Amino acid sequence: MPADNHTFTLVITGAPYSSQAPETALGFAQAALRAGHTIDRVFLYGDGVHLASSLPSPPSDEINWTRAWSDFLQEHSVPAVACIASALRRGLVNESEQRRYQLPASNLATPFEIAGLGEWVESTIKSSAQSSRVIYFHGGA
Amino acid sequence: MHTLIVIDQPPYGSWGGRESLDMAFSLAAFDQPVSLLFIDAGVLWLKQGQEPGGINQKSVERNLAAASIFGVESLLADTAACHRFGLNEDNLINGVTRIDNTGATLQQYQHVAFSG
Repeated sequence: MPADNHTFTLVITGAPYSSQAPETALGFAQAALRAGHTIDRVFLYGDGVHLASSLPSPPSDEINWTRAWSDFLQEHSVPAVACIASALRRGLVNESEQRRYQLPASNLATPFEIAGLGEWVESTIKSSAQSSRVIYFHGGA
Repeated sequence: MHTLIVIDQPPYGSWGGRESLDMAFSLAAFDQPVSLLFIDAGVLWLKQGQEPGGINQKSVERNLAAASIFGVESLLADTAACHRFGLNEDNLINGVTRIDNTGATLQQYQHVAFSG
């Protein structure tokens, strides 16, 4: 670990295929790890929660951003959380939310989890440490 | 650490601003200092007498009026944007502080988050 090691939380608010946010965030995450930094967690908010859906099936010559992120997260043991309020509005649910709302299916991809904004609050509290930052990847207006 | 949430989108065209407001309330719920800054068309959040029932949405005015009760420290609005959208002391909701230099304001906060 270099002496100037930083810890990053990445917040992604842009959806795959409508914005470049998930792609840019993945590029940042890979570069940060290569440089010896740490990714504390990834938080999906707003339209960003679509990244955690297991259902998108792009043409075979395009990148599946859910799978690309999923592989990265599992390879590096980085936790990723989708905001529950954003997720429920947009039809992204795990099995327990499927049961709670009696929905016909669940679609949360591995290893994503669903949790509250408290996860993001915790990251912002942690980021008051000098070496820690929360970085936002938006879809643009 | 004081967080500033910046809202630059008008209230009803997207859910982005509403979700930014949730971020602010969430920080406040965890006793973290937070303020809201409205710039560009985002200042329209602060207009009195919003009636979005016709588009099946709930007014954000009541949420903002409750912001201080929930622990949001201040509602800031860019003076130039208020002027552009015809907002003044007569039609702004209560408790809004207008600021002239948004750049300097941004510098005062350790953590600044824009609405997506």
